[in-house]
Amino acid sequence: MSIPIQVEGLTVSYGRGAKRVRAVQEVSFTVAEGECVGFIGANGAGKSTTIKALMGFIFPEQGETRLYGAPSGDPEGRRHVGYLPEVALYYPFMRAGELLTLYGSLSGLTRADLRRRIPIVLEQVGLGGRERELLRTFSKGMQQRLGIAQALIAEPKLLILDEVSAGLDPLGRHDLRALLQELRKAGRTIFFSSHELSEVESLCNRVIMIDQGRLCHEVTQAELQAVGRKQSLESFFISTVRGGAAT
Amino acid sequence: MKRGRALWVIARSVMLEAIRRKEIYLLVAACLLLIGLATSVDFFGLGGLVKFYRETALRLMGTFTALAVVLLAVRQLPREFEQRTIYPLLARPLPRGLFVLGKGLGVLGAALFCYALFMLIYVPGMWYLEGDLAWRLLGQHIYLQVLQMGLLTSGAFLLSLLFSPDAALTLGLLLYFASGLIGQVALTLYELTNAAGRLLLYTATYALPQFVLFDLSGKVLHSEIWSPLSWPVMAALTGYAMVYSGLYGWGAYALFRRRPL
Repeated sequence: MSIPIQVEGLTVSYGRGAKRVRAVQEVSFTVAEGECVGFIGANGAGKSTTIKALMGFIFPEQGETRLYGAPSGDPEGRRHVGYLPEVALYYPFMRAGELLTLYGSLSGLTRADLRRRIPIVLEQVGLGGRERELLRTFSKGMQQRLGIAQALIAEPKLLILDEVSAGLDPLGRHDLRALLQELRKAGRTIFFSSHELSEVESLCNRVIMIDQGRLCHEVTQAELQAVGRKQSLESFFISTVRGGAAT
Repeated sequence: MKRGRALWVIARSVMLEAIRRKEIYLLVAACLLLIGLATSVDFFGLGGLVKFYRETALRLMGTFTALAVVLLAVRQLPREFEQRTIYPLLARPLPRGLFVLGKGLGVLGAALFCYALFMLIYVPGMWYLEGDLAWRLLGQHIYLQVLQMGLLTSGAFLLSLLFSPDAALTLGLLLYFASGLIGQVALTLYELTNAAGRLLLYTATYALPQFVLFDLSGKVLHSEIWSPLSWPVMAALTGYAMVYSGLYGWGAYALFRRRPL
């Protein structure tokens, strides 16, 4: 099986002419099968841009990104991916079940699969029994839970989650952490960005740090454990970014 | 994933939106009110006004359906970008071309639903007035209207990717309502202008579809003197619509294919 995520020399710019801004510069990393990798950085550091390039939503100026060996623009590469966008609204005129039917069908699930999976994923994200409710009645936190449900609907091998805990209350974050732990134990590959560094610390076996569009540090599981003994990931991250350490 | 199923689920979501939102019902209600007013003329004792009813109803149905198509089509893609609903959709193994095609088919489906509602009133109205439905001509008129809806949909998609949603809506409606006028002006100016002007007129005439070709309401109205169109003419009109829909649709796809999201 190919490597789930490969990013090689990725450079992405926005704007034209004098207003051109490099959002990501020469970023390279891989995520292997079964890994749980946290992607952290300050606001505007380039996390979402990297993830969008990975999903084929934006096009690199240089370098390439691959999902399971397929270039990111190739729909084939997205066959085994569940994705949660940083910010997304879900069609307010739809019911939760209808939305999951739409996404599940596009992922290739049959009607029988959908009948089986929809109640399961809604239960997993704490929205059990809300299949018939219109999304316009959903709060921000419920929308985020639904976003996680749509990422899980087709039982993807790779989960790419952008700002996964955004909009969730402490209870929601606790449930999410438990869910991600469960998925990790089940052997899923998880790549996620988050500002909740305690969450990253508890879940990941590797952390990639990005600052001003460049990778500034990569912390392995052993380093994470060593860091955990001395200081929190948060203080390590702050000292790394402020100290300007580079790989 | 089967392509047909993907197209269907995307189209279904567009139709669901059109049906659950209020705009389409407002259009249908406004149109039916106007048709109803036309019908009420007979209640005032002014018999023999079947033609008046037929003309009013067919024209209004065509206009309101075109309005529904443009309103629905111009907002499909911009709203997906604006509300970021496009990300979870395109995160699936779904090619962008299939996504645009599914959206287009959804708009067409919603427009057909709208037109079917109009017909549900028009046909009983004609029976009530004991008028001749002129089935064959009416059938051809409906078929050409469907082709026109497809053409309008692809044109509106292209405009929505080139301009802001408001500008695309204005331009779409302007081109639809003014296409006949533009054709007439082109004919008048042709004899008066120089070679460069004629080239410009030719370009305008061929770049813009002639929507008037898809409107047989005048022939349905005077069905006693008009015969149904021959099959070669219908085939030519079908080809004409296909070429323009294809060109506009391809243009929309070409713009969308490389658009950063």
